[in-house]
Amino acid sequence: MAIQLELYRSAPRYLAERALSGRVPGVVTSPVAPLRLATAKDPNVPGPGWAPVKPLLSGICGSDLGTISGKASFYFSALVSLPFVLGHEIVGELQEDCDDLPAGARVVIEPVLSCLARGEDPPCPNCAVGHRGRCDRVTVGHVSAGLQTGYCKDTGGGWSRSLVAHRSQLHAVPDELPDESAVLIEPLACAIHTALRARVQPNDDVLVVGAGTVGALVTYALRELTPAGRIIVVAKYAKQRELAARMGASEVIGPKEATNAVRRSSHTMKLTPERGAAFLLGGVDVAIECAGSAGGLDTALRTTKAGGRVVLSAIPATGVDLTPVWFRELEVLGAYTGGVETIEGEQRGTFDLALDLAQRAPLEGVVGARYPLRRWREAIDHALAAGKLGTSKVVFEPNA
Amino acid sequence: MTSFRDELSDLAKGFRWGRRPLTPADAQAHTPERTAWEFPTAWARTKAGVDARETILDFLMRPLLWSQTSPVVHGTDNLDGLQGPVLFVSNHSSHLDATLIMTTLPSRWKRRTAVGAAKDYFFDVWWRQAFTALVYGGFPIDRTGGGKGTATARDLIEEGWSIVVFPEGARSPDGWMQRFRHGTARMAIEFDVPIVPIGIRGAYQAMPKGRFWPKPGRPPISVRYGRPIAPQPGESHQDLSRRMVQAVALLHDEDRSSWWDALHRAEHGETPSLTGPQGPRWVRNWESSRPLPRRKRTTWR
Amino acid sequence: MPRPGFVLEVDERTPPLLVNEGEGFRLQSFPLGSRVVYSPDPLPGIRDVNAAIRHALLHPHGMDPLPELLTAGMKLTIAFDDISIPLPQMVQPDIRQRIIEHVVEMAASKGVTDLKLVVANALHRRMTADEIKRAVGERVFRSFWPNDLGNFDAEDKENLEFVGTTDQGEEVEISKRAAESDLIVYVNVNLVAMDGGDKSVPIGLAGYRSLRHHHNVHTMLHSRSYMDPRPGHSAIHDSARRMGDVLRSNDIKIFNIETTLNSETFPKELDFLNKREWEWSLKDQALMLGARKANEMAPPRIRREVFRRIEAPYKITGINAGATLEVHERTLAKLHEQQLVEVEGQSDVVVFGLPYVCPYNVNSIMNPILVHCLGLGYLFNMYRNKPLVRPGGAVIMFHPVPWEFHQIHHPSYIDFFEEVLAETTDPSTIESKFEQRYAEDPWYIHLYRNSYAYHGVHPFYMWYWGAHGRDYAGDVIVVGGDRRTCERMGYRVAGTFRDALEMASDTVGRSPSITYFHAPPLAIADVR
Repeated sequence: MAIQLELYRSAPRYLAERALSGRVPGVVTSPVAPLRLATAKDPNVPGPGWAPVKPLLSGICGSDLGTISGKASFYFSALVSLPFVLGHEIVGELQEDCDDLPAGARVVIEPVLSCLARGEDPPCPNCAVGHRGRCDRVTVGHVSAGLQTGYCKDTGGGWSRSLVAHRSQLHAVPDELPDESAVLIEPLACAIHTALRARVQPNDDVLVVGAGTVGALVTYALRELTPAGRIIVVAKYAKQRELAARMGASEVIGPKEATNAVRRSSHTMKLTPERGAAFLLGGVDVAIECAGSAGGLDTALRTTKAGGRVVLSAIPATGVDLTPVWFRELEVLGAYTGGVETIEGEQRGTFDLALDLAQRAPLEGVVGARYPLRRWREAIDHALAAGKLGTSKVVFEPNA
Repeated sequence: MTSFRDELSDLAKGFRWGRRPLTPADAQAHTPERTAWEFPTAWARTKAGVDARETILDFLMRPLLWSQTSPVVHGTDNLDGLQGPVLFVSNHSSHLDATLIMTTLPSRWKRRTAVGAAKDYFFDVWWRQAFTALVYGGFPIDRTGGGKGTATARDLIEEGWSIVVFPEGARSPDGWMQRFRHGTARMAIEFDVPIVPIGIRGAYQAMPKGRFWPKPGRPPISVRYGRPIAPQPGESHQDLSRRMVQAVALLHDEDRSSWWDALHRAEHGETPSLTGPQGPRWVRNWESSRPLPRRKRTTWR
Repeated sequence: MPRPGFVLEVDERTPPLLVNEGEGFRLQSFPLGSRVVYSPDPLPGIRDVNAAIRHALLHPHGMDPLPELLTAGMKLTIAFDDISIPLPQMVQPDIRQRIIEHVVEMAASKGVTDLKLVVANALHRRMTADEIKRAVGERVFRSFWPNDLGNFDAEDKENLEFVGTTDQGEEVEISKRAAESDLIVYVNVNLVAMDGGDKSVPIGLAGYRSLRHHHNVHTMLHSRSYMDPRPGHSAIHDSARRMGDVLRSNDIKIFNIETTLNSETFPKELDFLNKREWEWSLKDQALMLGARKANEMAPPRIRREVFRRIEAPYKITGINAGATLEVHERTLAKLHEQQLVEVEGQSDVVVFGLPYVCPYNVNSIMNPILVHCLGLGYLFNMYRNKPLVRPGGAVIMFHPVPWEFHQIHHPSYIDFFEEVLAETTDPSTIESKFEQRYAEDPWYIHLYRNSYAYHGVHPFYMWYWGAHGRDYAGDVIVVGGDRRTCERMGYRVAGTFRDALEMASDTVGRSPSITYFHAPPLAIADVR
């Protein structure tokens, strides 16, 4: 029997969450949440190449919180299958031999349930070239709809004692990498993907908005893998500032000072419209939005120079004024998970890059709190206010 | 001197009112885990609670159930002369099961019987907890296992309460009986209390897992109480569990055919198993969802 | 298994922390990174205290069992600790009562007739009849009061006996009755590591002639700390031990009974004071706020009365009897188990919340000099190895320090505050210029002997008590203190904790390391 924290279908709860979660902070972890700690059978192995995995640590990601609090876009509703167990940042222990990987191996899971995992042969054109994140078949095949492990009812997710994963999703973790670093490989892969999507040119000015786990890791990936010049990071809380600086930011500033700071470093004009925030004529070459808030995206759009690039690393918030995109001819592009990257003409899997990078990244202390599943309400409440509470990443220890 | 309002807001902020209290990182190792608040159920077993329950069962639940289904009850005479506490043990395939047992128990037993309910399901939100406790005298059983799961049950038996347990641990997904868990047998041996087997047929067909109201047309259901089984000296809990399964199977067989035939088959070890036919899922579902034949109610049977 | 004490580092998840401030308390947020010392959880108490007492008396350390020491016709004196411990007073029955009853029982069965009970109050005020009754119990009180049970009188020259001098020239003079007794049974309550051992008889039953040898500025400055009685760490304990040796070499037989208490300091109704803040339930929070508000609004007299009535539900954790040194060693071990907390290194600032009671204002008023003694004398010294604060660091205390004195209990304090401190706060000057005069002032002596006043010299000792702390710290800042009284004592006053840190920045800089000593319940910081 597995104990799992599952999200189930309940229209009234969902609506209550959507209506209240912004106003009554405690409601996300109250009994109103469409989330329950359930006892269920371990998920079945859906086909060849699949094996059960026992999660050791499993992160709570911003997108998980968005899903629970009912803030996620309905766009996703067609990409998931309820009830599902959340959790896609997973380091675990393989329970049975899986092709070449022996039972007992410590693995991280690349969460995308792509053509390979779904047994789609021939794979879709994106998967065929390795861009698994862009897989077109995430609703068909051996397992139910679900863009990733942690959104699919058949695979289970990280917030449980057991889940199943396909060989194509598994990456062995080097022994010397501690669990607390390994659990960050998935977000680090996303960060690498984001940094490389940004196509940073030598000495480009880059603005990173948000310094949670993703913002910090994007900063690190930019520093390590791109020729970025100045990296300005917008961080709200003291601990985030420390972390951003550690990850290689040239300058760390508060959200209110962001526009002024970019203006200073780019020597441009600042204009203040009659309503709304001030903006720059000029600014950074590339802005990366990692906060997932409307304010964050707004800042990014208003401080990027004409013809510059704005990368959406977090799930974008709605209700943002897109005028600068049109007027400044900005290039807005998304960066979702990863697949395969081209660095100096060489192709490498995003996860492989992340595994390499994780071994030298200063990841100590990024995981700021660990909770067993039974204390999920506390854990999620903590994660919701992680920045304020001086924590970057909150993780579950499902088998503790 | 700070104003009361300021202090209140400091307190609210500092202690995260409306949210979860958190433990400082350094204090984690030195702070015992907050014991989850357990819904109190003792009130439901007070005199007032028992009176209320009996009223609700007799004047609300029973008429409601009898108006939606057509249950037939046999064998309550097996309880005559029996001294409590006992463990009522039944197969479990529908939410109707607990209601069927509680509404058909003779008053003497009804007033001193409580139903063990899965903590993770029946005791997750307050209204379900209150309902379970009031109407079924329900108390939480932790299905995750370990000795603590049955702590409340043990206390109740010691206080002389009889208990309804579904040893399968969960409703059957396909109507066929699942493996009996050994907790019930262990308790029976530990306290040396008799087990009263109950066979419920037709509840699955009337309201299977996933339905929240019985199927239309007053589907027939049969509830059969069997002879009490007493744990034998030195009997292992595995053996007792096996006898429990047989007793329930016998009741089903008896209901399907006749007492005489069923006894014969039992004698030869030919009682049809309740675990269902082997084979693909559809076969099992097909067999288990076959409606019970409608019987004419006879007064003398 | 009770949880050990530990040091918390304040992080973003830490709620505001409770800080005592005299007859009241507040919640105070501390800067991130501040350290907070929490004492270990209360140890489980002995279940059958009577059996434990009997066992201790029948199986003493380094002496024969008590019944064998008792003979008909002998002179037996039972001395016991006075009202200054434990704090707050413990719920009845007091542990002293229980032990004394056992001893008296044994003495009676052995045919002892010449039995006297005496409060070892030295220069402390006499205990009232009611207070004594509370300590020894109704049965003992009714049997012995007033002829055979009473306070010790250190100014009754005829009833003092000079026993000898130590190798350092310290004169040892104790109660004549005690010195002449065939056996002294001393009943002690060990609340802090300073108490007990050779501090019992050689100090508790001694007069000024004897006390001045260790209760002086020089000794106090060299006692680091009073709570660390290991030889060489505390000059006052070294002196007491030398005096104890004189008694021992003069064949004065002392059967010492020492007890240790756990740390259940506050009654159930004030349970939040015993708990760690992040474990407070909503009820605890409401109780705290309610208690605080009610307390704030109450008239001072009622407030004092309410606090005075607090009785600690202390449980007994250990009872040892026998030869002083052997007993005390065991007592300290048990005490350390309850109070010792390891702390890594010193900090720039130490913060104390001063509670409403100290040893010298039970059923009385905490006057400014006692605030000085409690903060810089007691709490500052609750350490082993080295103080929580670095040399020259800042001590921040929370207390209102009102200009208020108990007219009956502390008459010499009033004069000390008005005359002596107005002129100087330097302990050495005070000692050389004023001590003798106050010690021999006939009016104070009269009040000490006949009323319920502390001895004329007692405020001096209180001032010396804080001498080491005052000398050691660069800055003493009192949050919420009365400006006039603090000024007279050489303290600085801050309105809020933030202001206090701001003021301290002169000595310790802008981002000092801070340690908050979260007491009571009491702890001893073992600073590494």
